[in-house]
Amino acid sequence: MKTFRVGILYSTTGPYGAIGRDCRAGAEFAIEELAKAGSPVRIEPVFGDPAGQPERYLELIRTMLRDDQCRNVIGTITSLSRKDVIPLVEKYDGLLWYICPYEGFEANENVIYTGACPNQHLIPLFDYMLPRHGKRVYLAGANYVWGWEMNRLARELLMRAGGEVLGERYLPIEETDVGLLIADLQRHWPDFILNNMIGPSSYAFLAAVKRLAERDPAFAPERCPVLSCDLTECELGEIEPGVGVGQLSTASYFESLASPENRAFKQRVAARFGAGLRISSFFAGAYAAVMLCAEAVTEANRDDPASVRGFLHARPRQTVLGSLTIDPRTNHAALPFHLGRINAQSGFDVIASRGAIVADPYLVGTLASQHAPHLRVVQ
Amino acid sequence: MTRTPNFVSWRAAILHRADDNIDRLKRQLERLGVTVLLQWKPLDLAETPADIVLVDADQGFDDLLPWAGDEAPIPVVALLGSEAPGRIAWALEKGAGALIAKPVVASSVYPALVLATHAHSERTAIRARMAGLEERLRLRPIVYDAIRSIMAAQGSDEAGAYRTLCRLAMQRRLTVEHVAVAIVAGHEPVPRAM
Repeated sequence: MKTFRVGILYSTTGPYGAIGRDCRAGAEFAIEELAKAGSPVRIEPVFGDPAGQPERYLELIRTMLRDDQCRNVIGTITSLSRKDVIPLVEKYDGLLWYICPYEGFEANENVIYTGACPNQHLIPLFDYMLPRHGKRVYLAGANYVWGWEMNRLARELLMRAGGEVLGERYLPIEETDVGLLIADLQRHWPDFILNNMIGPSSYAFLAAVKRLAERDPAFAPERCPVLSCDLTECELGEIEPGVGVGQLSTASYFESLASPENRAFKQRVAARFGAGLRISSFFAGAYAAVMLCAEAVTEANRDDPASVRGFLHARPRQTVLGSLTIDPRTNHAALPFHLGRINAQSGFDVIASRGAIVADPYLVGTLASQHAPHLRVVQ
Repeated sequence: MTRTPNFVSWRAAILHRADDNIDRLKRQLERLGVTVLLQWKPLDLAETPADIVLVDADQGFDDLLPWAGDEAPIPVVALLGSEAPGRIAWALEKGAGALIAKPVVASSVYPALVLATHAHSERTAIRARMAGLEERLRLRPIVYDAIRSIMAAQGSDEAGAYRTLCRLAMQRRLTVEHVAVAIVAGHEPVPRAM
């Protein structure tokens, strides 16, 4: 039996360790299932755990690509690390599978993107929220490209819609002192808060908003929700119990989705990990990436990027995320949009959905139609 | 940046010999919604209009781009592998506002378009402003002549005559220089006290 090695590169410790552990568990589960199913090729994982240290990503992926004969690497969570490893992936002509939501403005031939970009998360989110909740928005973000770029785009969308940015603040990922941010919020009374913070700062913020709402009902989630584009089931366990309830997040997968393939998937996960594990889009995304990669190398009996891309571009593929189409132009997956509200069981109730949206990483189609010049009335 | 730069339906002329690098560049431009024309001969904008030009600065020769430095009518991106100062100077001389290093990596393309476009519009705005200032400078003797005529007509001092000229320019919605030209040429009666 032919063996193909696949790199699995996730940080299971450090500030975004909860996400990394979920990604890795999803990938491992897929590899276990492949082995059990008696797949005609063997997928041998090569695990690397950079522990959240940027320079470790480079060392580990270089070893995977150069010494371990991995042509496919599933991994990286932050845009910083993805951008760092891409030159090495290009150099060794490998294929990086990136499964996380991100801020867009990238399309690389050596990367397969199955996480959502802004026209698949932020733009449909604003389409939904602005008419229902109002256009006076407070922007909070991680002091890092995800926070900056998401808030830049949010500002642009609000300007186009005649909305207003009431305030904009950034916190380092590991900062948990959110006092100034909360004080600033109280001066502004926004219609909703866009939260592009990550990890501990985001968890501390949600907890502080909950306490603020107890003092001032204007900040209760039904009146002024906190919206995230990357908060998933796997992180709800990291937040003080109950503090996120009622807040909203977008994802292309929620555990609570009622599709037949998701029901079957949940049963298998429960049988393996027990009923307590909450499946997130990170777990499901890493699982789907490993499965797709295995199907591609099985069919081609090769694991070079051109063969794998050929498989992915040929037609839609069935995955636990639903039928997945990878656009040959951008290497991005078309993804559905779901808006979930956190419930008391550390899960999400889906309150709005849209069918698969073709990824537009550079927003070439999404914003182009709105680029008409603004005319001013001259008196 | 309040507006996301967008290059949909732009036409890019790549002046380079075909090779793998350029294939990659072409595909990346097409991802951004740009139509690509590849040629290795001098650019003729009348024959093949383009919104931006990406030129091989390693092999480029003067006739490829029919303009000198700050006269570039469209944004210019240099495609450069060499580090030779002479080649960099050639790119600058042709008005390059951004650089894509060879071998081309995908992530360098969009930023280069944004930078080159920005540099070009900044240069165009500065050129227009300079032209305006130069014209005002050229017309200064005429402004002075007009002031002297007004001084004579209304028997005022220089400051009073200048105020009159400014008020008239405002009423006519013209620059001070243009009103001065009209007065000196006799198209506008010399104003008396206003």
